[in-house]
Amino acid sequence: MLNNKEYLNKIFQSNKPLIIYKTIGGFDVYTDFNERIILNSKNFKSFLNIKCNKPNSKIKELNCYVGFFGYELLCKNIDIKLPKQETSNFYPGLVYKPQTLIKIRKNITIKSLLNNFRKKISSQKNNNHFYEKKFNLNLNESQYSNLFKYFSKKIKLGETYQIKICQTYSNKSHIDAVNFFWKLMSMNESPESFLIRDKDYSIISCSPETLITKKKNTIITKPIAGTLNRTKKMTTKYAMSYFKKNEKESKEHNMIVDMERNDLSRICKSGSVKISKLKSVEQYRDLYHYVTEIKGTLKKKTSNHDIISAMMPGGSVIGCPKINTLKLLNSRERVNRNIYTGSFGYINANGDMRFNIIIRALLNFKKRAEISAASGVVIDSKAKKEYKENYIKAKSLLDLFKI
Amino acid sequence: MIYVIDHEDSFTYNLVHLLDNFAPTYVSNYFNIDKKKLDSCKIIVFSPGPGDPSHYSETQKIYHQYKGLKKIVGICLGFQQILYAEKGQIIPQKKIYHGYQSRIKVLKGSSLFEPNKILLGGRYHSLKLKEPFSHQNLKITMRCVETNVAMAIEDTINNVYGFQFHPDSFLTVDGKFLIQKIIQAK
Repeated sequence: MLNNKEYLNKIFQSNKPLIIYKTIGGFDVYTDFNERIILNSKNFKSFLNIKCNKPNSKIKELNCYVGFFGYELLCKNIDIKLPKQETSNFYPGLVYKPQTLIKIRKNITIKSLLNNFRKKISSQKNNNHFYEKKFNLNLNESQYSNLFKYFSKKIKLGETYQIKICQTYSNKSHIDAVNFFWKLMSMNESPESFLIRDKDYSIISCSPETLITKKKNTIITKPIAGTLNRTKKMTTKYAMSYFKKNEKESKEHNMIVDMERNDLSRICKSGSVKISKLKSVEQYRDLYHYVTEIKGTLKKKTSNHDIISAMMPGGSVIGCPKINTLKLLNSRERVNRNIYTGSFGYINANGDMRFNIIIRALLNFKKRAEISAASGVVIDSKAKKEYKENYIKAKSLLDLFKI
Repeated sequence: MIYVIDHEDSFTYNLVHLLDNFAPTYVSNYFNIDKKKLDSCKIIVFSPGPGDPSHYSETQKIYHQYKGLKKIVGICLGFQQILYAEKGQIIPQKKIYHGYQSRIKVLKGSSLFEPNKILLGGRYHSLKLKEPFSHQNLKITMRCVETNVAMAIEDTINNVYGFQFHPDSFLTVDGKFLIQKIIQAK
């Protein structure tokens, strides 16, 4: 019989649907899904409030749904309409019920509701992988600048205070997702990294941003606002003084902190929302981020749907104030964001949940790979610099295609 | 009860948590007013929000209807809404303050705050009051130290108050005290 490591490798090499999620000290692999629910604006609320609350497994960690909510689904959920956009008709949201959990830490341990889980591997291997090295970009620099100017005017009129313009890179590819994911992890392991591999699509992401960590009635969010391109000689100390001295980055960050305090305050007990860690620096392969942690105690009887509706889509990747900024963005963006600035994570039947913001992500669907990035327009932004920042943000994923 | 009219801002609930310290606070959107609750509340608060006061005719009507009958408080956009209703002009300012901490000075005419005191306040506004502005009852009671832009108003006769900056922001030092003074003013 296969030992745990051999079994895990065999799964990776097969085409079995699976999900990998970065956790402290390692990765969790979910597989043997016995439910796969396509979410839409009609079933979203009942999924969150009814289906998610029903315990139906003996193993606590498997008492959950894992999956993602796309951007459009999250907009519709808070009554924001999207105009007709170019779309690849990808799923609005998908969640899975796992029966097996493989924990990759120092050792590999497996928990499963199935007795014969080791036998449940198809020997089928998908060999028709290919990828192009070059990408097309949906907005060139002058198109980006025009949009930038349009939004700058709106800032002057007070209609938005900060807005994030999204760009999408795409090419023709059908990637070996697991292989790409581990390559990405070797270069850029981020706290909210994940992979979803299903029969007809895959997503890999090195997201750094935690949107919700909820345990019992405590909820934490950790917005990122502020990015510094990292060179080899730079230190975290340098990055810290750069962010502190840089008025534009500080103001952008302040705004996001107040906005996230607000979003938590919608669902938390009065007076319980506190900044637990103001303005720290996190280091990644290509960049530094400016991060704040905010914490609150949930009001009694707050439902899963209340939490998701207050917090999603995550404000730091949209701009501020959220509602009017979403309306402005949607009036100008021509390409559907799909998963980008949506959310990935899990909800346990006991109410605990963890969700990230889907950024630094690659979606591979219908032989098309797409990577999106966005950066913030505030009053002191320069179009050229923000355009370049989007490239820096997409770089760690674009680089995977160069090897 | 305090009734907060929300102009769909992403800072409204920070303000609501502050107000909750002093009285039970009810919130609704500006286009979805609960008339019974509005009639029975003691204080009406106009929240911050995007755009300029002319976009919100509903709130203008409420101001004119309840001015003098109930205490009215405006924050940021809400502050501008009060001034706009009192024939003030709201115009773009050269330097835009979004996420900015400013030094703010209390003027002599303030009946609630100590004159000449300097406060630190968080600001989120691209528009400002056009001056000179003069009014029989409504006084400008705070100004930005750097630019002299109007930062607070008081009308003790009609019980109308407002801040251009955000007492609810984490950038404001002791915003709770500022709100307390206004809520408890008689």
